[in-house]
Amino acid sequence: MKKFFVILICKMIRFVGKLTGRGSSLPGKVALRLCPDILTRVQLPKRIIAVTGSNGKTSTVEMIAAILRADGQRVVYNNEGSNQVDGVATAILSCCSFSGKLDADVLLVESDERYAVHSFRYFRPTEFVITNLYRDQLTRNGHSESVYDAIAPAIHPDTKLLLNADDPLVSCFAKGHDNVKWFGLDRCTLSSDAPTGVYRDGTYCPLCKAPMTYEFAHYNHIGAYTCTGCGHSRHDTDYAVTDADLEQGVLTIDGEVQVHLALRSIYNVYNILAAYAVCRECGVSSETIAQVIDNYILKNGRVVRFTIGGYDGTLLVSKHENSVAYDTNLRYVAALKEPCTVMVILDAVSRKYFTSETSWLWDIDFDLLNTPQVEKILLVGQYCHDLALRFSFTGIDPEKVEYHADINALAEKMKVEGAGKLYVVTCFSDRQKFLSHTQKEA
Amino acid sequence: MNCKIIHFYPHLMNLYGSYANLTVLRRYLELLGHSVDVVTVAPGEEVNLSDADFIFMGAGTERSQKAALRDFRRFADDIRTLADSGVPMLFCGTAMELLGKSITDEQGTYEALGLADFTAVQSARRQVIDVYGHTELFDAAIVGFLNKSSVISGVERPLLTDCALGWGNEKSGGGEGVLIGNVMGSHLTGPLLVKNPRLLEHVAAIICSRRGEALSTPLPRIPHMEESYIAAEQQLRLRSEK
Repeated sequence: MKKFFVILICKMIRFVGKLTGRGSSLPGKVALRLCPDILTRVQLPKRIIAVTGSNGKTSTVEMIAAILRADGQRVVYNNEGSNQVDGVATAILSCCSFSGKLDADVLLVESDERYAVHSFRYFRPTEFVITNLYRDQLTRNGHSESVYDAIAPAIHPDTKLLLNADDPLVSCFAKGHDNVKWFGLDRCTLSSDAPTGVYRDGTYCPLCKAPMTYEFAHYNHIGAYTCTGCGHSRHDTDYAVTDADLEQGVLTIDGEVQVHLALRSIYNVYNILAAYAVCRECGVSSETIAQVIDNYILKNGRVVRFTIGGYDGTLLVSKHENSVAYDTNLRYVAALKEPCTVMVILDAVSRKYFTSETSWLWDIDFDLLNTPQVEKILLVGQYCHDLALRFSFTGIDPEKVEYHADINALAEKMKVEGAGKLYVVTCFSDRQKFLSHTQKEA
Repeated sequence: MNCKIIHFYPHLMNLYGSYANLTVLRRYLELLGHSVDVVTVAPGEEVNLSDADFIFMGAGTERSQKAALRDFRRFADDIRTLADSGVPMLFCGTAMELLGKSITDEQGTYEALGLADFTAVQSARRQVIDVYGHTELFDAAIVGFLNKSSVISGVERPLLTDCALGWGNEKSGGGEGVLIGNVMGSHLTGPLLVKNPRLLEHVAAIICSRRGEALSTPLPRIPHMEESYIAAEQQLRLRSEK
């Protein structure tokens, strides 16, 4: 009876939230408060897929859901609210029947890295995808090794792990775990001989701290590594992108499946591969997967096209406090051929908490913007001086760089002055502060 | 003059943009009219420390810190001699803990260099918080961010005498970091010398005065550094007064 009421209350709160236009994790939070073990009292589908990692969770989960649905499977996932246990509980309880049965073939969970252990106390994934671990929100998470230590206890021995073979730290999850499938990107046109970036987290082995060597790297420390001490090295892959050409926007999986990229970013390549790997493990045919992800346009708002005055703009969400996310977007902009203006907005470091911590700016490789077609760089927001200080230590011509503390004043100016391609790199926390002045493209 | 800066373990100990402490110090010394050589040392590499003007090690993960400690022990006598002769040094984040007597984690206790009598005990519980505090070195407040997993006990002379906002070595509000003559240790990120122009000037002044060089007046300014400090100082002072 208690279960019935908790589910009822959860559904009611969600219904009210929907009416007021707010998706949140409140329903799950209240449910867990009323009945802490509610998630053990509901009947979940046999298949539970979880996805975690520093970057790409939301995009990967969105594609997995689209593929499984195209395959005729009924999927429930936490696409609104948070990726912590409250958000997971909201998704489950608002979709299940009053008797507590989740009428779906697959429960798909995007899980926060640090809180996976809390979500998986109540149920355990049958498949667990771990995309990557980088320096991400150091202010909240500590560093990637401490995140590793937080995820490790969430892994049940019976769970099938799908690991990114190209990430030396993620690969460590396979130690002592039998049931592992690997995905990775073979050497291709975008690979370099050694890791790139301002800092080199691939220099030393995450297991024994002896120096590592690289046969090739795709970006930052992601690539084919071998430890000179303990021999920790890139595992052979079960699912591989065998060729990727970002300029042409095409990738090939396992030598046969061609996919066109709506977003020509290396992240998108890995997210697609992770989604492909787990869906193949769930028995979906490669044809079905290819049909869904070919030219797949993500709906999660990570890329927004807009206009302001004479500018034709694209906003790339970069997550503050995440240098790899920034590097990836900067590399994307740097690879474009057309002349453009680049705007970096840093007004609030986080939308969830206050901090004035900007040390992560020093981990971002802003020198990527030191190319002729980047004609002007606008550093915007409350922390524009932190940005300008960082930029003064790049090789970028200071004549190209402007700083503006006031986003609104700059937006007003741009409505009447200037034209051309504009790329905005910023975080969820600051995105709307500029987009509210623009016209979104349909 | 030509300044020689020793940078220990640049790739092993380089969390939270630590390297930028040296980036700004180098620029500042150059603005003062000096040339700067930065000598990097990787584990196992030989280095001559005898004529060093400044020694630096950045923050690392707790596992990287143990690897750094394994190598750094061979420099213990040299570091102690240089510290006694007043060579300024900065050890950031977990590198600070190498200066104490010992570091303890779940696996055991590791003997550290013993420049000062403090101990560090690490656990899975991290302190992550903005810091606003003061130092005996100058009047201006120190700003930064703390992200550490250790409790540090037995520091006689902390770098920050109080933290109006944030955690100190042992507890909320207490002293943070360590001062051993001209040797500074601190868990503050920012990076510390980037976010705190007065501390950067202080370090540069020690480097110059040891070589008998007077600082030029007015002191040079790195553009945007002061504005960046003022923005953080205002934000954090407001929060420290709540």
